[in-house]
Amino acid sequence: MSDALKGRIAVVTGADQPIAQGLGRALGSEGATVVEVEGAWNSREAADTVFADVRDRFGPVDIVLHAAVPAIAFEPMDLVDVDDERFEAIWERMLRTTIFLLQAAYPQMQGRGGRVLFVTPTMSMSGAAGLAPYTAAVEAQRVLIKATARQWGPEGITLNSLAPAPEHLPIGMSSTEVSLAPSALGGPGDPELDLGPIAVFLASDAGHFVTGATISADGGVWMAP
Amino acid sequence: MTGRLAGRTAIVTGAGQGVGLGIALALAIEGANVVVAARRAETGEPAVKQIRERGGEATCIVTDVTSRDDMEACVAATVERYGALEIMVHNAFRGGTPHRIEDVGLDVWEENSGTAVWGSFYSAVLAFPHLRTAGANGRLILLTSPAGVEGSVNIPLYSAVKAAQRAMTKSLSKEWGPNGITVNAIAPVAETPALAGAFAQNPVLKERVEARASLRRIGDPEHDIGGVAVFLASDDGGYVTGQTIVCDGGSFMGL
Repeated sequence: MSDALKGRIAVVTGADQPIAQGLGRALGSEGATVVEVEGAWNSREAADTVFADVRDRFGPVDIVLHAAVPAIAFEPMDLVDVDDERFEAIWERMLRTTIFLLQAAYPQMQGRGGRVLFVTPTMSMSGAAGLAPYTAAVEAQRVLIKATARQWGPEGITLNSLAPAPEHLPIGMSSTEVSLAPSALGGPGDPELDLGPIAVFLASDAGHFVTGATISADGGVWMAP
Repeated sequence: MTGRLAGRTAIVTGAGQGVGLGIALALAIEGANVVVAARRAETGEPAVKQIRERGGEATCIVTDVTSRDDMEACVAATVERYGALEIMVHNAFRGGTPHRIEDVGLDVWEENSGTAVWGSFYSAVLAFPHLRTAGANGRLILLTSPAGVEGSVNIPLYSAVKAAQRAMTKSLSKEWGPNGITVNAIAPVAETPALAGAFAQNPVLKERVEARASLRRIGDPEHDIGGVAVFLASDDGGYVTGQTIVCDGGSFMGL
């Protein structure tokens, strides 16, 4: 335990998932106050209310770690069998939640800086059969991070993506499906011990010059570009 | 008509103008029957006239790509008229209004998401039964943008939906590959009414876009972008799938 994030307020969404739990513990072990929220709001007002509540209880938000995904997104289904209701529940819900999250976080970081980190599994870059709506939503999040990083840079706000292996998601998919080679480091890693330090770095002062980046941390499987 | 696409049938959404019209012309000149799926007959019918004057075969079907019913009707009418559908090109887009992410309203989001992503979804799933019948001639081509890779400072939501199309391209190429169907994306920079509008609002932008391109010019929808679509749609492109062809004169080289 050290104090790279001492006094910082971190909002973590999707804490029902082990990947978000591990990353959240890593932020906390560096001194951040970690506030877990569900991250399933479907209006700007609802997201604003959650963020206002965090500010009232702990102070303005310094770090947002966004990993929330509706469970339906992980149910594999060929796109031809996906109906409008399911597409809406994955694509629209994930992107609207993300937009409202950015809009709710901005006023608390504007003029004082901040860190936004999205968890965007490598499969948005590799593609995945049976998960077209989910991969589309994650890739949209990953590039929205880049565009927003360009807009918010002057405010001292950095935004980045951390791309873990698909083994961290409840889909039973192996990252070796996208590569002929096995994982260079022998596995997908532990969320807290292997990926956590990367989240800490990006959230800390040391990471202040990295923005709009995607850090692949899948143990060395997906190596593009 | 002879040509690399003789006897094949294509639907091109948003083919009333810009990149869509350029692709429709290029496909038709290579012999494809082209359905101009335009939201308004006022742009779709002149596009058909232009294609026919060049010796191509085309029909306009007024279609709103954000409507499943419209897209279903468009595909059905295409197959009824030409007997098959081998090539689906989804190009239609609306919603490029500059915005700040912290302020943007749902109206801008709905235009971006509806035309780019829901339009891709409907284009894909409604064309699929016919593309499967076409087997190794089956093609889905989605029009994306360099902004969908690198992110645009002026239009974040556009960047997001164009990125979504790239991931959909990859995932669908995996789902449909066993049927012989290829799925690819083209990321163009070309002279279009949309780009002309952006240049009118911001006159230095044209100079910057041209200066950034290795080739020092902005692409022509038919000759520079249409040719890439013809390649992907033809037998020559049959082993290319899941890819984004960035066709921007050498501006963005991040891949």
